[in-house]
Amino acid sequence: MSASFDPSARRRAVRPVTLLVVAALIVLPWIEPDKFALHILSLIAIASIAAMGLQVLLGYSGQLSIGQAAFYGIGAYTSALLTAKLGVPFPLALVGAGAAAAIASLLMVPITRLTGAYLAVATLGFSIIVYLFIQNEEWLTGGSYGFIGIPRAELFGYVLRDQMSSYYLNVGVAAIVYFTFARIEGSRFGRAINAIRQDADAARASGIGVTLLKSECFVIAAFVAGVAGSLYAHEVRYLAPNDFTFWKSIEMLIMVVIGGVGSLAGAILGAAVVVGLPEYLRAIGDYRMLVFGAILIATMLFGEGGLAALFATLGRRVAAVAMRSASKLPPGNEAAR
Amino acid sequence: MSTTADDGAWLLQARSVSRRFGGLLAVDAVDLAVRRGSVHGLIGPNGAGKTTLLNLVAGVYRVSSGMLRFGARDITQHSTAKRARAGIRRTFQNLKLFGEMTALENVAIGLHAQMRAGFFDAVLSTPRHRREERSIRDRSMAVLHFVGLAGLAHVRAGALAYGHRRQLEIARAIVARPTLLLLDEPAAGLNVTEAAHVSELIARIRDDGTTVILVEHHMDVVMRVCDEITVLNYGRRLAHGTPGQIQEDPGVIEAYLGRSGENERAQA
Repeated sequence: MSASFDPSARRRAVRPVTLLVVAALIVLPWIEPDKFALHILSLIAIASIAAMGLQVLLGYSGQLSIGQAAFYGIGAYTSALLTAKLGVPFPLALVGAGAAAAIASLLMVPITRLTGAYLAVATLGFSIIVYLFIQNEEWLTGGSYGFIGIPRAELFGYVLRDQMSSYYLNVGVAAIVYFTFARIEGSRFGRAINAIRQDADAARASGIGVTLLKSECFVIAAFVAGVAGSLYAHEVRYLAPNDFTFWKSIEMLIMVVIGGVGSLAGAILGAAVVVGLPEYLRAIGDYRMLVFGAILIATMLFGEGGLAALFATLGRRVAAVAMRSASKLPPGNEAAR
Repeated sequence: MSTTADDGAWLLQARSVSRRFGGLLAVDAVDLAVRRGSVHGLIGPNGAGKTTLLNLVAGVYRVSSGMLRFGARDITQHSTAKRARAGIRRTFQNLKLFGEMTALENVAIGLHAQMRAGFFDAVLSTPRHRREERSIRDRSMAVLHFVGLAGLAHVRAGALAYGHRRQLEIARAIVARPTLLLLDEPAAGLNVTEAAHVSELIARIRDDGTTVILVEHHMDVVMRVCDEITVLNYGRRLAHGTPGQIQEDPGVIEAYLGRSGENERAQA
């Protein structure tokens, strides 16, 4: 989150990579039409939506929440209820799920005055309450029996029956969220929440309404978490309270941190690692979570910037080597940023 | 910038303002009247309550008793952000810049309250967003010129030299053309040349129509640039007058510029 007012430099640096990734995601199902692989990619896209929301909250505005699973759960069950019990069309339920989570997050407004560990524990408390609600209100949520019979997603009267179309739905929504949040950088709103993270006192002294902006970030993060929950409900079509425990919140936090705090692309990379890696490690059975944990530690040892910074450094190195071999310049300039 | 019209000569009036921290009366029934368009010095030995008084005016602390008038309005209960929006801006003794942002972005934050574009304006890149961004950039750049940092606009604030950071804080505080500027030791840690530059900058800020309250230990800066001075000691007002009067006030000389004062002067 820097270099606003300097859009030319930034665009040139980011655009080709972004276009490449988008193109790859579009053609991917044609190269790898395996249902299971597309399902995992959908789950990664869904997780990345929630993670990007948390990135805005933590990475941009500096508020640590370990209760995002609450909003994810509220979104999932809202969407399930709206479609399965009330026959609301999916697109409406998707937005409704986000709205329900956003409204629930307004309960958090009083606690945005808290910071650091105090805020984190308060969000945790909220997620415990939501979990217990899902677990115990059987008449509404099915309780520990789970919520069954969630219809498939449908768009414009067309039911997304095959895995490929639901892949496009999930990745498409993730892309919309990404490009929406990317706009925050270099805007008045983006600078202000960035300022709050770096020094709330100085932000106040500049006339920034700190509490209001912090609350806005909570609402934004909750909205997209709710949207992610809705997509999850229609992807898996079965909800159980255990999908929305404290652990889910921690997973989202891991995504943001290993991806790189403050980096939107990092949140997606983090989601890919946290959701995808355990699947690839299935071959080693019970050891997979052990290996997964070790990989998390190793990623953190590489540096605070997470995977996003790691890739950026790697990219610069490769570019420097390529430049040098192309122009045969003497070495020693690659460290310059 | 947005104060209500008030034809009184006083921009800021603190009436019998006190602030208690537990058992300590940091500021004890102090009266302070700041003339519109002046540079008002706030001096006194360490622990005299200068910074506390400044923080009371800025709204960081609420007064334990007494009242604060800014122009025609009573701001005693207003929050820091509300006072900032009303036209009271400040710098900090221990620099509080946004280290990861560029110098230009730091100044842009100072204009936050002047603008309206929110989250959706940014996402949709509305005309308002684009218009405001342009005006923020132009105005911020102009202020960087004013303080002499134009060449460093795109440098990260955290990477700037110490003296430049002091100037940047002032730039961020004045970009919105505040009515009242609170400077908390703007020359602290600066060498003689840099301190002279700050004095000259303060005079230019006043000449542009901003009233200044200056807390400063550099006596040459205070005496050169202040129109009036209030002296604090042990949280109480010891004296009030022009620099000439203050320098000759026997009470001040004894408490502040006396024997130990000579040492301080030499250090400064």
